[in-house]
Amino acid sequence: MTIAFRVNGVEERFDCSPGDMLSDLLRSAGHVEVKKGCGTGNCGACTVLLDGKPILSCSFLALRAEGREVTTVRGIEEEAAVYAAFVTAEGADQCGFCGPGLALAVHALRSEKRHPSEEEIRSYLAGNLCRCSGYAGQLRAIAKYLEAADAE
Amino acid sequence: MDIQTLARPRSIGEALELIQKKGGVPVAGGVWLKMHPRPLALAVDLSGLGLEYIRDKGEFIELGAMTTYRELETSSLLAERFGPAFPAALGRIVGVQLRNMVTVGGTVAGKYGFSDLNTLLMALGARLALAGDGEREIEGFFLDAGDKPPLIEKILLPARGRAAFESMRVSGGDFSVLNASAAYVDGSWRVALGARPAASRLCREAMRLLGAEPRPAEPQVRAAARAAQEEGSFSGDLRASAEYRRTISAALVERAIKECAR
Amino acid sequence: MPNDERGRPGAPATSLSSDKSFSAVRRSSPKIDGRGLILGRPAYTDDLAPPNALVLRLVRSPHAFARILSIDASAAMALPGVACVLTWKDCPRIPYTRAGQGHPEPSPRDKFILDEYVRYVGDEVAVVAAVDQRTAEQAAALVRVEYEKLEHLLDFEKAVDADVIVHPESGIREMFPIGFEPARNIAAAYGMEIGDVEAELARSEVRVEGVWRTQAQSHVALEPHAAFSYLDLHGRLTVVSSTQNPWHTRRLLGLALGIPLKGIHVVKPRIGGGFGGKQHVHVEPFAALVTLKTGKPARIALSRKEVFESTFTRHEMRVSLRLGASREGRLRAIDMRILSNTGAYGEHALTTFMVAGSKTLPLYNKAAAVRFGGQVAYTNKVSAGAFRGYGAIQGLFALESAMDDLARKLGQDPVALRRQNMIKEGETSEVFRIMGEGTEGIAMTVESCKLEYCVKRGMELSGWDPKRLSWEEAPGKIRARGMAIAMQGSGIPLVDMGSARIELQDGGSFKLHVGATDLGTGSDTILAQIAAEELEVPVEEITVYSSDTDHTPFDVGAYASSTTYVSGSAVQRAARKMRELLLETVAAKFGLPAGEVAYERGSFSGAGGTKKLGLEELSFDTLYHDGAAMRTLSVTESFTGHKSPPPYMAGFVEIEIDAETGKLWVMDYVAVADTGNPINPNLVRIQLEGGIMQGIGMALCEKVRYTSEGRLLTNSMMSYPIPTREEVGRIRVEIADSYEPSGPFGAKSAGEIGIDTPPAAIGNAIFNATGTRLYSLPFEPEAILAALAARRDP
Repeated sequence: MTIAFRVNGVEERFDCSPGDMLSDLLRSAGHVEVKKGCGTGNCGACTVLLDGKPILSCSFLALRAEGREVTTVRGIEEEAAVYAAFVTAEGADQCGFCGPGLALAVHALRSEKRHPSEEEIRSYLAGNLCRCSGYAGQLRAIAKYLEAADAE
Repeated sequence: MDIQTLARPRSIGEALELIQKKGGVPVAGGVWLKMHPRPLALAVDLSGLGLEYIRDKGEFIELGAMTTYRELETSSLLAERFGPAFPAALGRIVGVQLRNMVTVGGTVAGKYGFSDLNTLLMALGARLALAGDGEREIEGFFLDAGDKPPLIEKILLPARGRAAFESMRVSGGDFSVLNASAAYVDGSWRVALGARPAASRLCREAMRLLGAEPRPAEPQVRAAARAAQEEGSFSGDLRASAEYRRTISAALVERAIKECAR
Repeated sequence: MPNDERGRPGAPATSLSSDKSFSAVRRSSPKIDGRGLILGRPAYTDDLAPPNALVLRLVRSPHAFARILSIDASAAMALPGVACVLTWKDCPRIPYTRAGQGHPEPSPRDKFILDEYVRYVGDEVAVVAAVDQRTAEQAAALVRVEYEKLEHLLDFEKAVDADVIVHPESGIREMFPIGFEPARNIAAAYGMEIGDVEAELARSEVRVEGVWRTQAQSHVALEPHAAFSYLDLHGRLTVVSSTQNPWHTRRLLGLALGIPLKGIHVVKPRIGGGFGGKQHVHVEPFAALVTLKTGKPARIALSRKEVFESTFTRHEMRVSLRLGASREGRLRAIDMRILSNTGAYGEHALTTFMVAGSKTLPLYNKAAAVRFGGQVAYTNKVSAGAFRGYGAIQGLFALESAMDDLARKLGQDPVALRRQNMIKEGETSEVFRIMGEGTEGIAMTVESCKLEYCVKRGMELSGWDPKRLSWEEAPGKIRARGMAIAMQGSGIPLVDMGSARIELQDGGSFKLHVGATDLGTGSDTILAQIAAEELEVPVEEITVYSSDTDHTPFDVGAYASSTTYVSGSAVQRAARKMRELLLETVAAKFGLPAGEVAYERGSFSGAGGTKKLGLEELSFDTLYHDGAAMRTLSVTESFTGHKSPPPYMAGFVEIEIDAETGKLWVMDYVAVADTGNPINPNLVRIQLEGGIMQGIGMALCEKVRYTSEGRLLTNSMMSYPIPTREEVGRIRVEIADSYEPSGPFGAKSAGEIGIDTPPAAIGNAIFNATGTRLYSLPFEPEAILAALAARRDP
């Protein structure tokens, strides 16, 4: 069947089967910025925003997105580019596979909470796993980014 | 996931019909869907029924079955009525993204053994409003092996009470090896152990020993914790042995009671 | 002397740039690909696969050991959209190894692309190719396989000379003597002795011994293994793969498929993490097979379940260790005996096992006698392969635990015991000469070793007090400290080889083509920094491309902590040669002898400054203006190490144990490392921090588990949790001031050393907290609780 929803502000139509997960639908439509890491909702690589809230697209029935607004990292590109500069300045980007999902989670954190403590940052982002960095560098980068962004 | 038809009913009645007459499998948060062993001929999406709410009804609080963990965790009403019990039970489950999807109704209906929320709901003495089937106590519901999937419309909580939650995890992203919750509601104690790894159970002897006193004395708390340890049934799985679960159960129960009595 | 600001959390990224003589190295340049990756640009293998490619799905064995009696694919083939179903009968009967290693491989050739036998749950049975994922999955479910179930073998400690023989087939072989005895379930074996261990142990006044066990660990790189293949317009097979070693992949594909190497083109795009897990061919042969059979593009991306079930794990090992020392604490003898579990196939069997000795025993080079030996056994489990730490972490867990046991017996500070015995700059170890990776080693003097500094600094930072190694922080909260030291290597000497090509491009920038394989570490950036330093240009003036068997020069790939040292040296050589070539070219244009042209930061001058030329102008001259003299200025250089200078680390941990549950928290992990001169301090630091976290995961929660039938229980990230960002209190890493004369700008390596200390350091902290030695990884709360209980029961 065909369904329609907005991706990064643009209405798109998708050929969709009832069991399709949102991540697969998005990737096959060319939105390969949505990564698939675990397929079980554990790693956060597939994070997208659904009507502004972060969800795991690998575990979300695509049909449920009908008529709604999906945001991938391309939809917050300007902000993500500023964020990326902080992460790369720490060398914490590493393999980058967790990068787009984490950028969206950081965006969501920012929209929910200004000036979060280190503990709040860790807790909010706990669902975004990274196997490369050991997290310490990411925390340094994100804390600096949020400090700078929230100061604006 | 192999689903032949995904029905998207707009009313409870319609959903109930699809589930009970056409053998549809209800889909709440949908996170566990992919773990479903078999293809589904008919899946019934519950997301269009308007069951996302937390309402103060005076005598009790209503949680719409499709209310997400994140909504429960961040609810000011639940925080005001039960203190930090909900954030304590939910705030460490995987990540915000998952908690934006997983629902209270799906968790209760699934009777998941690993669940943290179910243990808290047991301690709070939640009642379930089943579409077209009246109300049920959560404990009876968990004990009932019932083969027909029910349609839970809402979960009813007491209007207020104190509750606490404790769990042991080997690592942060993992399920609890064991969890415990204690609640003091309307002048009596309720204590539950979950992730045993089977589903939550009340610890009746512990509850009896705690009596009606909101701040039981230390020896009473210890006796209750030991009782919970003795009356509990535990088994082993890949996360821990039955023996280990039994060993730590007293500590978790004791901590939950003390936290609740603070 | 060391600069105090170095590597401290919060210190400015440039704080390591104390040496003003560097302009591009010893600087924390941002990773050149980081921004694009975070913004989600198509970069990884599966992002780039052609949409019209056939989608592959593998039929896998449900049995731990079985012979395939028949495969009926008729129902699958009847499904519209199915292109082919391939079984062992469609594959050439050529034994190969999936291990991405040098040639000839030190791993036995004991694998066929598809075989009549399946040797673990998840072993490949058939390849299904269809127009889309759904069809491929449906078709795979329709393939009917009849098995003759065989008795299986899971316990590696009972494997040698067992009745069950995992590899009964003929035709498999070793490429040179590695102790391969498949009839005895032995994939490899080795032994060596320096001096007389029994005699030295006999005259030792103090002896300790124990048997340590390390578990299988999964890599869990976030990007699942993926590849796609197609025939190019010449009919050559192109394989795009998430691989750490494009040339080994090409060579092994050519071998397994029986086609000449010139007919294969392997491309490595960005890789979403590897840690050794992509140092093998896992998916490429299947895609290639389908493309060769059908002529069509084919793609395969493993599900996470498949990654767990059918790629590799760390080798599970049993390490039996004896130490003997004088009353004063001088080590006299080390006796290490290992049994390793390679699972169903022998990838990296010999070499990981040998590294357990060769990269641990030299730490204590003063022992008069050293013995090392053992066997690597086959079982019906998921194969083991390369994994960061590569044997060293297993050996160090035993050795560094035993050192603490020895210190306790001697009544010494464990740190003092190590300082008395550990290797120092200017020294050597016989082990370097005797033990290589599968072959003899290479004699080596250690020219850079700041282990003494690392230990002292680690003591300072962690607040190490030998009189207070455990205390009660609050009721029921027990704190303790523990430490361990470690060494690793920097590539495999005279085996690993890397190459680099540098070309002056129109516009005056440089193109750097390397075969080195950036798997997320930032090696492309580091290599660009090395080139930029030699050529005195900003890093942005170096355009890096890696790696591609058609378009970049050869490199063995990214493993064995080799890229900065081996490939980086090749880049340095190429850049130096390019500089000479530029000077010669400009001298000719100026009409001056080469020695009379000066070059500084992109500008040439001669004849007292009257003649000047910039790189941009030079590039247009050499490419467009110089008539008969026009040429491309390009150089290619290679490097192989004559030694493998070890990086070192001292790790100090502070743990807290909940006395009622046995739950252990890492509160603080202090690590001071000698990685040589860090080319990019931030990237070195992240390598170390990331390694430490994986080591903590191995120490505390990660363990591959099976049912008694050999089915994997830990086959998802739900059942195999890796550490989250809430797990560990603090990780504090500092980098010692060190300079390795044989390395590029003094660099050694940083890729693996970080993972090596946590298991032993945390084990020692538990020992200090409980007085009980835990011999098996991971340290489960149950065991910790039992250790605490034992302390309380007199």
